[in-house]
Amino acid sequence: MLARYGLRLVALGYLAMLLLIPVGMIVYHTLSSYGASAVWNAMTQPDMVSALELTLKVALIAVPLNTVFGIVFALMIVRTNIPGKALLNAIVDLPFAVSPVVVGFTLILVYGQNGWFGQWFIDHGYPIIFSTPGIVLATIFVSLPFVAREVIPVLREIGTEQEEAATTIGATGWQTFWRITLPSIRWGVVYGIVLTTARAIGEFGAVAVVSGSVIGQTQTLTLTVDSSYQNFDPVGAYAAALELAAIAMCTLFVMNLIKPRRAN
Amino acid sequence: MAISVRGVSKTFGDYTALSPIDLEVENGSLTAILGPSGSGKSTLLRVIAGLEKGDTGSVFISGHDATKVPPHRREVGFVFQHYAAFKHMTVAKNIAFGLEIRKRSKAEIKQRVADLISLVQLDGFGDRYPSQLSGGQRQRMALARALAVEPEVLLLDEPFGALDARVRKDLRDWLRRLHDEVHVTTVFVTHDQEEAMEVADTIVVMNHGRIEQIGAPEDVYEHPANEFVMGFMGRVNRIGNALVRPHDIEIRLEPNGITREARVERVVALGFEVRVELVLPDGSPVSAQITRDESKRLRLAPGDSVYVRPSASRVFAGV
Repeated sequence: MLARYGLRLVALGYLAMLLLIPVGMIVYHTLSSYGASAVWNAMTQPDMVSALELTLKVALIAVPLNTVFGIVFALMIVRTNIPGKALLNAIVDLPFAVSPVVVGFTLILVYGQNGWFGQWFIDHGYPIIFSTPGIVLATIFVSLPFVAREVIPVLREIGTEQEEAATTIGATGWQTFWRITLPSIRWGVVYGIVLTTARAIGEFGAVAVVSGSVIGQTQTLTLTVDSSYQNFDPVGAYAAALELAAIAMCTLFVMNLIKPRRAN
Repeated sequence: MAISVRGVSKTFGDYTALSPIDLEVENGSLTAILGPSGSGKSTLLRVIAGLEKGDTGSVFISGHDATKVPPHRREVGFVFQHYAAFKHMTVAKNIAFGLEIRKRSKAEIKQRVADLISLVQLDGFGDRYPSQLSGGQRQRMALARALAVEPEVLLLDEPFGALDARVRKDLRDWLRRLHDEVHVTTVFVTHDQEEAMEVADTIVVMNHGRIEQIGAPEDVYEHPANEFVMGFMGRVNRIGNALVRPHDIEIRLEPNGITREARVERVVALGFEVRVELVLPDGSPVSAQITRDESKRLRLAPGDSVYVRPSASRVFAGV
């Protein structure tokens, strides 16, 4: 009895110390020190609005792309017999291994003004570095593996029998994917999307290197937190942090909303 | 012929799953492919369904060359050992799957699903999910799902292999009755000779990727083509170079000139039958099967000396 409650206390205490209290403090500190109106004022500044828009825009491009890529990649690794699978499987983990700052620098090397393709894009009116495409690329890179990593074990777990059964009943490959495979792996996909989203909106290092942090243009929320703080604008920093926390909460809330009601 | 397999072979790396195989399955028949694990029986079934591609040879279904036809257009029903239930769909949705794919009308689907649910005796279970069913119920659902699209042939891969003994026996009888009712050409794979004898009207015995014998159950049991088939269809004793079934061993208390002496090791009562484990003077074991009445009359006990003789035996060339 005592052991069980003790264990719970330790687990909850750990969670509180590391997660609940710091996150709660952001909200509490922001509101109590500066007042709701000052925070609202900071949030509605045009630069802050544009940072929020940019963050959401980048996430809305990167997350769907990485979701589709992750599912296709997982299917390729688990369901096909192409040579070099082990190597590919390792390569997709590269974004976990490489420091985000390094990712940013490699993007500059390739797409920057003096990079391999950089000048070509600039000449055609689509500069990549110090512009939205660069931020999107950096975000895609750092959040690449999550969906694949979540889906691969689920695909292995469900096996091929249901898909084979659907095939013998007359379903084409496409129909089998939509009606059997995707519904079977959906929780892996959803969880992968949550992780990808969290990483996409929260990425700092890689984005900081490629964005140039032009206020009102290439500044995301995470960059705003940093620059406001550096510029002795704590209200701005806390307001941006609050928005980031709110987006994270929304993501978790949506995931819980679509979770299965069925007990089994 | 419902199914013709001509010269189909299949290897997985160094392993030969099927040596060139020829097989004809008659319309409306109920055929068992029987063999030990690794004999290639499941591979053969999967090649017929198109789930596996043969390296050589061709497969004809209802007279049409299906060798290059993808599995989803072969019009076969396939039932898997572990049911392959669509876990995220209700029983009714599982059964309706093939009809929805074929874009049948809602009314037709509803009617057909209701008919099939009662055919497989799952009335009242239409709204349940597979996880809420027992193994036997799941397998009946899988059968209804396969039958829904009126396949040319029904293929079952160890359909009762994952079920416990009693359910397995019920389902066997039920499959036999179902076949008499719907008459669809059915081929099932099993490693259980009793199951094959009980359900099928033709047995195909396979070993090491080859067909050893094809025939009616009594035929294969009474006239096995070789030692492997004889051994696989039931227990056998080896006496000299002859093979004898346990029930073909006669036990006497007195010698009669053509009997051999033997010592009783163990007497095991199995209800109606009694198994007597014997040892010949040369040390070789012999297992005899006698009736309970016979056993009472002989009053055998371990250590007794008796006299035995095979009342029927077979000798295969090249043994």
